[in-house]
Amino acid sequence: MKIINEPIKVMAVFNTDGKIEPVKFRIDDKVVRIEKIMKTYEENIVGNTRIVFVCLHKGKDIFELKYELDTKTWYLFKK
Amino acid sequence: MGQIIMHIDVNSAFLSWTAAYEKQMGIERDIRTVPAVIGGNEQSRHGIVLAKSTPAKKFKIQTGMSLMEARQMCPDLLVIPPDYNIYVRASKALREYLKKYTPDVEVFSIDECFLRFTDINRDQAVKLAYKIKDGVRDKFGYTVNIGISENKLLAKQAGDLEKPDKCHTMFIEEIKEKLWPLPVEELFMVGRRTRPKLNRWGIYTIGELANADYKLIAAMLKSHGRLIYNYAWGRDISIFKEKDPIKSVGNSSTLKFDITDRETAHVVLLSLTEMTAWRLREAGMYCRVVSISIKDKDFGFKIKQRKIMYFTDCTRDIYLNACSLFDELWDNKPVRALGVHVSDLEFSRFKQINFFQDELSLKNEILDKTVDEVRAKYGDNSIIRGVFANTDLKPVLGGYPDDEYPGMTSIL
Repeated sequence: MKIINEPIKVMAVFNTDGKIEPVKFRIDDKVVRIEKIMKTYEENIVGNTRIVFVCLHKGKDIFELKYELDTKTWYLFKK
Repeated sequence: MGQIIMHIDVNSAFLSWTAAYEKQMGIERDIRTVPAVIGGNEQSRHGIVLAKSTPAKKFKIQTGMSLMEARQMCPDLLVIPPDYNIYVRASKALREYLKKYTPDVEVFSIDECFLRFTDINRDQAVKLAYKIKDGVRDKFGYTVNIGISENKLLAKQAGDLEKPDKCHTMFIEEIKEKLWPLPVEELFMVGRRTRPKLNRWGIYTIGELANADYKLIAAMLKSHGRLIYNYAWGRDISIFKEKDPIKSVGNSSTLKFDITDRETAHVVLLSLTEMTAWRLREAGMYCRVVSISIKDKDFGFKIKQRKIMYFTDCTRDIYLNACSLFDELWDNKPVRALGVHVSDLEFSRFKQINFFQDELSLKNEILDKTVDEVRAKYGDNSIIRGVFANTDLKPVLGGYPDDEYPGMTSIL
């Protein structure tokens, strides 16, 4: 796991109940499909709200995506 | 069962907030664990220490000292520029969080709040304080100090006892053991001007002040003496202010260079007025008093204010008054910092027609509104006044609303 914290392009489903589910994202011209979201939670460090998604890829790679509410930007936080 | 007042103080606020934010951004350092300070930009002469980390404190670095002095004390010092957007957002989030516990939250400054609880006993209050303290740490990622007492003064003094990440009580019967042994300058409202006077009369601790002759203190220091004498006894009659309506709007700025001519000073006043008047209109208010402040190169500080004949929110009216005030006040010493403030505000949707205002000013009011709309849509610098073209002066000066948080207030 390495901390990256870079903005990325994400395709996500915004459900009717307000829940967000990232489906796939693009990094280094490669598309990474998210197989399973293992955990989501909200962090609110110094008032900056980000929704954190801990995702699984190919059964072993763990990615941490963050959606920042203020800037409406997705970040690949860890991979 | 009386009321309980808690004082919440963020431990080295600007530094803690920066550290927590850096952590969220994935930067792998913790500036709280190394000698570090938040300091202004030295090139533009804002080079003072705004906040310090606990390791930096060990080098006897103090808030307000120049960065050059601080570096001499600790050569490996890490200096980080401030980011007021983070601080304002962190402060707002903290206030929102505290409102979950009580509706009575009084904002004292950007990093300090008072909370009032009624119908609660002391043991419950202490438990609750620990809960709030740990809640803030877990939710927002920084630590606070909480002081618990029955009035605002003692709560504030309690919060200053031992830092960081602590809760302290200071009830009226505890002042003899907790407040009185402290050096007198630790008392609220005793600063670097009062301390030498008190020391001269042999008063070094708060306890000595409390047991000094009241008549002597009152005679020598007048109303301020009566105030600090009562403070030393933990007596504070200030009331809890829940919502503070805006009393004044203003902006000030330290300049990149010393101003030595009148014309440049007027131009800077204009850029400050642009910001102040815009904020005034944003709040939907009119002002009747204009004041300016001048700090010269030797840090001499002067202010002057004037009441105008009518309520206005017009940039031109405020600017012209600020200029004439400047001409009256300025003693030809090089100017280091300038400020424009407006007060005696009135909140109104209607405006009284008056015959003191000239036609140009009425036209300008309409123009101001249009300029505001353009700026809101296309950015602050989308439309600027001609005098700022091809200069490196900022057309709109003073970004951080320095009076939204009454930072230097002396009234509890």
